[in-house]
Amino acid sequence: MKLRIALPLLSLIITGVLMTSCSRNSADQAVLLPVEDDPTISFRIWFKTGSQADPAGLEGITALTASMMMEGATEKNSYEDILTALYPMAASYGVTVDKEMTVFTGRVHSDNLHEYYPFFIDALLHPAFTEEDFTRIRTNMINGIEKSLRYSDDEELGKAAFYNFVYDGTPYGHLDAGSVSSLEAITLKDVRAFYKSWFTRDNVVIGLGGGYEDTLLTRLQTDLAQLPEGTLVQPGAPAPLPLEGRHVLLVEKECNATAISFGFPIDVLRGDDDFWALALFNSWFGEHRNSSSHLYQVIREARGMNYGDYSYIEIFPNGGRRQMAAPNHARRQQLFEVWLRPVQHVHRHFALRAAIRELQHVVDSGMTKEDFTLTQQFLDKYALHFATTTMGRLGYAIDSRFYGIDENYIALFRKKIAALTLEDVNAAIRRHLQYDNLRIAMVTSGAEEFAAQLAEDVPSPVTYDTPKPEEVLTEDREIEMYPLEIARENIRIVPVEEMFR
Amino acid sequence: MKHILFCLLALVLGGGSLMAERGGDGAFPYDYRLETLDNGLSVIMVPMSAGGLMSYYSIVRTGARDEYEKGKSGFAHFFEHMMFRGTKNYPAELYDRMVTEMGADANAYTTDDYTAYHLSFASEDLETVVKLESDRFQFLEYEEAAFQTEAGAVYGEYRKNRSNPWSVLFEELMETAFTRHTYGHTTIGYEADIKRMPGMYEYSKEFFSRYYRPDNVVLVLVGDFNTGRALDLIRSYYADWQPGYTEPVITPEPEQTAERRVSVSYDGKTLPLMVMSYKSPAMDADDRIAVAGSMLGELLFGENSEIYRTLVLKEQKLQFIGADFGFNRDPKLWSIYAMIKNEGDIPMVRQEIDRTIARYLDAPVSAAQLDAVKKRLKYSFLMNLDTPDKVAGGLARFVALTGGIEVVDTLYAMYDRITPDDIRAAIERYLSADRRTIATLTGRN
Repeated sequence: MKLRIALPLLSLIITGVLMTSCSRNSADQAVLLPVEDDPTISFRIWFKTGSQADPAGLEGITALTASMMMEGATEKNSYEDILTALYPMAASYGVTVDKEMTVFTGRVHSDNLHEYYPFFIDALLHPAFTEEDFTRIRTNMINGIEKSLRYSDDEELGKAAFYNFVYDGTPYGHLDAGSVSSLEAITLKDVRAFYKSWFTRDNVVIGLGGGYEDTLLTRLQTDLAQLPEGTLVQPGAPAPLPLEGRHVLLVEKECNATAISFGFPIDVLRGDDDFWALALFNSWFGEHRNSSSHLYQVIREARGMNYGDYSYIEIFPNGGRRQMAAPNHARRQQLFEVWLRPVQHVHRHFALRAAIRELQHVVDSGMTKEDFTLTQQFLDKYALHFATTTMGRLGYAIDSRFYGIDENYIALFRKKIAALTLEDVNAAIRRHLQYDNLRIAMVTSGAEEFAAQLAEDVPSPVTYDTPKPEEVLTEDREIEMYPLEIARENIRIVPVEEMFR
Repeated sequence: MKHILFCLLALVLGGGSLMAERGGDGAFPYDYRLETLDNGLSVIMVPMSAGGLMSYYSIVRTGARDEYEKGKSGFAHFFEHMMFRGTKNYPAELYDRMVTEMGADANAYTTDDYTAYHLSFASEDLETVVKLESDRFQFLEYEEAAFQTEAGAVYGEYRKNRSNPWSVLFEELMETAFTRHTYGHTTIGYEADIKRMPGMYEYSKEFFSRYYRPDNVVLVLVGDFNTGRALDLIRSYYADWQPGYTEPVITPEPEQTAERRVSVSYDGKTLPLMVMSYKSPAMDADDRIAVAGSMLGELLFGENSEIYRTLVLKEQKLQFIGADFGFNRDPKLWSIYAMIKNEGDIPMVRQEIDRTIARYLDAPVSAAQLDAVKKRLKYSFLMNLDTPDKVAGGLARFVALTGGIEVVDTLYAMYDRITPDDIRAAIERYLSADRRTIATLTGRN
């Protein structure tokens, strides 16, 4: 007999069959995405808490607690036994921790659901929090910061430095994984107490998708009612300090290229009136990993300075490894970000100038009719690729719940994009974007010298190993003199060893 | 009923194309249709319900393996970049604009054995995609200045990768493990060669002429589309593409007869890394012992293994251990990877890997352990076939290594037949110390 692999139907992508079940508590207010002929079942169990709830001095405790639930023993089973049981099913479970949400994910073939489910639910309800697991996972997290983030991936290091810089002094202002010292300060007792306070039955929303039967939802609702009691207390949305001028963080590190991120917080969230207009602008200006984007054309395509140049109006973690945004990073505070992949140190000053100059140009002059029309056309179909799997669409559905969007997000996105005018987009750009007040984070070598060059606004002419068209060279002469106007007191240099300490 | 209809006579007579159809009752769960045009271009079509979307992969059976000339490492990857630089009919700006208008998700990647160009898009745009892809594969044309500028972007990619210690370790590993074969360099290539790329404009035309030929390319179409119409389009747009693939002159790697070791210093902080790599056989799904060998990584070093439990979970000496025992077009490497928490434990980890291998020679793997791996392979495969892009992407390596996808069924059927004795035979054949290279990397801690 032929095995059918379920696929998203266009009607599902566009119109969305998003069902909501509401009754007595949060666990019953499920986000459901049934796909009848999908032979797999996807779980996203959303707790309305994230790393912003980490107490001061214990940053990283949400991530550590959640990781111990997913990668540790339960009261019934050792972690070794759990791995042994899950192994033949090619199934696993895991967790995504962001500032305001923690989502436990699992996916299994329906052939194996009945063997899988008891392990998954047990991990949520009865984590053992053993000393052995605590030591292993905490050590891995510390190594992840001390060794991997600081020394193995300058792109992610630069982005992490930028995010902390933008949200400095707010509950968003630390890595989800915390810092080396905060992780060292967390005790197993802290983790156990944190679980009982935050991973509660009043704090959970069930996300379920794929070829499940209704009895599974009932079972989940009944089982999750056994979570600890607790009252949802959400911290307020972060209020980043107003920016004045351009501020620079230089992370000093021995490296062969400079990673650059800059931007600022914005007050526009998914679903807001201006969100769609900014989404269209952003797609033209810097669609992630897309050669049609304007920044990419200016810096990579015309000048061959790096591997890619992108911009964002929502957080986009793991950009070096993903084509489309991962779901479940919904927040009440978002940012505008420009990300230049590493450029040679001799080009860093020029590349930064080029990117900010392009931002200034579009803020001052707006998009052209031609660019607007082409981007509108592009997004209409490109949106179909945002989430093509049941698991991905379920993630988007949860994010829609977070933002109070009742319709299927991709359908709504296409509808809103189609309804935009050039005037809408340019008005939204003027309302929300600017170029005078920026946070700029760069991972580089010779930071002192670079700081002096930035502060003195010295010209940054570039030479190329290869010939370039005259129009590029003419524009270069403008870019190399473009005033950045960064005061020396606004430039901070931090050795990489001190990052996230 | 499974039925394969090979029109061999037509092929022998040269008067038609090779065609096959089959039902999805093997490991691969979909019906598919194969077609080979007169010029040698193979087409694999897998219709599936996909909400009006489809994926279109052009797989060139040329990768870093084919870079046999000195100073040309990394060229297959560089050339992949040049394929986006346009033709007379569709200059780069127009190509970009048309892909943008379609809202397609388009990209490409290069591996050791092949290069894949892929687009996912609404099925209604199929003709435009066939038109664009057939055009650039036949008529690619770019100026020297554009060629040189793109070399800068490739160097940027190299720099990006270089901040990862695994990249540094792999470059040394491959160079040590291979003395003659082109697998001795990584896909991105040596920095010195990348720096010389801007001067290789004429060579790039030669590269295109040698390898971008229909008899070296396979199209894979997956998703919501009509196979008859797709074939008509492909015949119409690709028919004039001239065959003429020139095989690269690849020197076989001599048999390795003694263990090799290499130590690498990393200019940054990192946990120590170790890769223990054994010479592996080329892809051969009919070779029972080779297929058993490809299961050893999961069996001996997977998340369910004894060494994982002991060194990762219990004693916590390792941040992780894992293995990659996949197949390549030519004999390459089967590798065990470890990230070690303390440099002083490197010898111990080496010994534990040896002990693990020796243990399975002394006491054969249990039937239950073997069944667990077989079941995992099956479900892992099935659960990753849920979008056209994942199906096409998942088939790409099989296509590149064998020219088709029949091997999928053969391989999974062979997995089912593997016994504990086959596993033992595979360990004896492949996991002996004289066939291995051990590479370690330590940082400035």
